[in-house]
Amino acid sequence: MEEDGCPRCKTTKYRNPSLKLMVNICGHTLCENCVELLFIKGANTCPECNIPLRRNNFRVQLFDPHVEKELDIRKRILKDFNKKEEDFATLEEHNAYLEEIEDIIFNLCHDIDILETNKRIEQYKKENRESIVKNRQKISKEEFELEVILENEKEISEVRNKELTVIQENAKKKKTLEKEKLIDELMFSSGDAKSIVQTYAEKMEEDKKELDLAPPPPKLTKFSTGIRFSSSIQQQYLPVPKIDEGPIFIYEEPEIELYGPNIPRYEEISEKNYLKHIRQENQTERAGGFQSKIACYRAITEAMQGLYPF
Amino acid sequence: MYAKSTQKRNWTLTADELINLRVKHNQEFIATNGAHIDNQSYFLNPFEESILLRQYELQLKEFCKRFEPPMPPYVLGTAFHYFKRFYLYNSTMNYHPKEILATCVYLASKTEEFNISIQQFVSNVKGDRNKAMEIILSNELLLMKELNFNLTIHNPFRPIEGFLIDIKTRCDMQNPDKLRKGIDEFLEKSFLTDCCLIYSPSQIALAAVLHAASKAQENLDAYVTDSLFANSTQMLKPLIEAVRKIRSMVKNIPEMPDKNTIKALEKKLERCRNQNFNPDAEVYKQRQLRELNEEDEDTNDQDVSMMSTSNFE
Repeated sequence: MEEDGCPRCKTTKYRNPSLKLMVNICGHTLCENCVELLFIKGANTCPECNIPLRRNNFRVQLFDPHVEKELDIRKRILKDFNKKEEDFATLEEHNAYLEEIEDIIFNLCHDIDILETNKRIEQYKKENRESIVKNRQKISKEEFELEVILENEKEISEVRNKELTVIQENAKKKKTLEKEKLIDELMFSSGDAKSIVQTYAEKMEEDKKELDLAPPPPKLTKFSTGIRFSSSIQQQYLPVPKIDEGPIFIYEEPEIELYGPNIPRYEEISEKNYLKHIRQENQTERAGGFQSKIACYRAITEAMQGLYPF
Repeated sequence: MYAKSTQKRNWTLTADELINLRVKHNQEFIATNGAHIDNQSYFLNPFEESILLRQYELQLKEFCKRFEPPMPPYVLGTAFHYFKRFYLYNSTMNYHPKEILATCVYLASKTEEFNISIQQFVSNVKGDRNKAMEIILSNELLLMKELNFNLTIHNPFRPIEGFLIDIKTRCDMQNPDKLRKGIDEFLEKSFLTDCCLIYSPSQIALAAVLHAASKAQENLDAYVTDSLFANSTQMLKPLIEAVRKIRSMVKNIPEMPDKNTIKALEKKLERCRNQNFNPDAEVYKQRQLRELNEEDEDTNDQDVSMMSTSNFE
């Protein structure tokens, strides 16, 4: 029978009961000591499959190595293939989509057509970049809401526990007090001992009932201003309304009326040696986006425009 | 672009239109303000107005020349444009030219990005500076309104640079920069004429270049006919005509009359001007006070009753 053990140092659970097996994305196990030894610099390759690994990605092995590997792959794939049923028109499409995901995961787990499959993933990523990001945000939002709910519940149970302990303590104190009273009375009173015990027993019974009936005090979840304790108030922005985009702007060269003789085209300014006669822009001016060509073109345009009599 | 500018559309007129506009606004003023006066010579006539305006244009030029810090020429050009435009639609008797003059320069320094504060500006003015500041600031909005908010001015200075670059590139003239002195003199004189209201800045610039060239015994005719108008010979004739007219306008600036005549005209203006717009007049001061009170009433409701009683007194 195959023993659970580190493939590198051959230590087994049997020999070292405190052995901790770690696993990384490739699915090969290593014991904690070996990880520390090999990954002292933070990154190294897997001793079995030579895949470059990072130390941060090691975690304690919970399942069989191949299950761990599949979990890793699944996590990675689902990060991108994050469409929900609402995103599909029909149930069949959604099912086909799920099938595809399973196909890809299966292929990656069992090293079938790795290249082909990776290509498929890349293409999917490229085609659905926008929806991936959107869905991720949605999911993180949902997770956040879930967290808030969990926190609320935790808070409630904590408060209730506190109340319970307080009540119990009170009851205990009361009980001991009553007992002492009873003993005192039995010691010093001249009445019938039996009847005294009887009345006390009745009283106790009543108190118990009262305790059970008393409703727990309402829990505090708000400040006196009405703001909730927890952090759930933050990030409750209204969604930004989406504006319908108009047709795409197409640049058209403006028609310039000159009322004057033709001017050289902008490109011709430098070709026809116009620039020889004006000051070159210095470095500072060029950094600001200024060229002497611009000024030259402008001066010549202004000289020619409006020259024809009207 | 000059072709689509307000300067071409609204402010480039023919010589006849200019005269008509000036006569019209002179007569309008007399008609509205002179109903009770029979003596027509009490008011300035259009000719006298034009003499006064030219006198103040000379002052405008001097003011800009002496301005501290030195002012770039295009501010002067823009100020001249504003001044001329303003008095196309207003009579000197309504608004005194010496007040509009300073306002024009102030507004031009703003539109031409010659950055200067009002304190700095009035330090160039002789006399009571606080009063000058008040006058300039109170007239600024009026001036812009009268200019129809057409504040962009196409001056002939950049076209000059364009022509010089073009001449250097397409013409084998020796050192065209020697023309600059003649060009500057010509442009300075041209502001004393109406040609910036009649011709486009590039035409004035070409006239200046040709004038300076002929004075320097250079001949640029070949450049104009063979380079500039090589593809549009049919336009050549009207252009030459326009250039000739501009040059004759600048050459024939009428002589200023002697000082005594001008002094007499100024006195006459002081007498017949619209007292509602005279900052020294009692009427003007009262009107200002009334307007101030009205503003106070708008903003300060509690004082309304007090104000109205004091007004009745």
